[in-house]
Amino acid sequence: MDTSATLRQALLTDREHTLTLIYHRTFPLVRRYVQQQGGSAQDAKDVFQDALVIFYEKAVAESFVLSSSVSTYLLGISRNLWRRELSRRQQLPATSLREEHTQEVAEEAEPGTDGREALAVLDYVERLGARCKDMLLAFYYFQQPLEQIAGALKYGSIRSATVQKFKCLERLRKSVRAAVAESVAH
Amino acid sequence: MRPALERLRLIERHLLGRPTPVEAAQWQLQLLTDPELAPDAATQQHLYHALHEAGRQQLRQELEQIHRRYERQTRRRGWVQAATDHLRQLLKRPRF
Repeated sequence: MDTSATLRQALLTDREHTLTLIYHRTFPLVRRYVQQQGGSAQDAKDVFQDALVIFYEKAVAESFVLSSSVSTYLLGISRNLWRRELSRRQQLPATSLREEHTQEVAEEAEPGTDGREALAVLDYVERLGARCKDMLLAFYYFQQPLEQIAGALKYGSIRSATVQKFKCLERLRKSVRAAVAESVAH
Repeated sequence: MRPALERLRLIERHLLGRPTPVEAAQWQLQLLTDPELAPDAATQQHLYHALHEAGRQQLRQELEQIHRRYERQTRRRGWVQAATDHLRQLLKRPRF
């Protein structure tokens, strides 16, 4: 198994442990870089976490190929994000890092997504209940295979987990549609 | 699965899967015969974007927890280092 596949497997099967290892190994490097370039420890944390989100989304894709070490790769993304943030601050010195930066990360990771519309549906995701929410996020965002999800959520088979996944999606769609119909009626 | 769930699966395959040329042609045909298909697909796409955003929020919360644990460990290590520095200095002194 090559490095990218091993990394992908580790992220899918034990995300918390794998991300913790990566965090402890790489964050000190990113913090040193950001502080040398005039940023604060808080800036370093924000930049590094944004880099990790981008990294996770890329690393769990089957097409991902890691051509360097994880630390080097993450340091590269963090450097780019921090340079971009610095030039943004020079143009708009009074704005905070957090909100502007989050939007930039969203654009980088998935161009064309209408973030505002997605945010409006987020409330309905929260209201689904923990089991449905866990199921949907595990499959659609964290990219875990259904076999693993079925085991973790104690479904008897992949088939029953598949049916449950679509039931959860149907519930989400119904609640969003009801809300849209209600807003049109008023 | 009941028909409503099968429909979700059909749309999902079109939106997230890798449909073959034959399936893509079938989809185009279904769009012509089923006027509800295009708006249903648009709604489902919207749900996937929202789930993506919700997943990102959860990942950020997990990273925040990892960061807090990292900071705690670093502080503890720093404290132990400071507490034992004096002892190390004493041990380093030449014995007469």
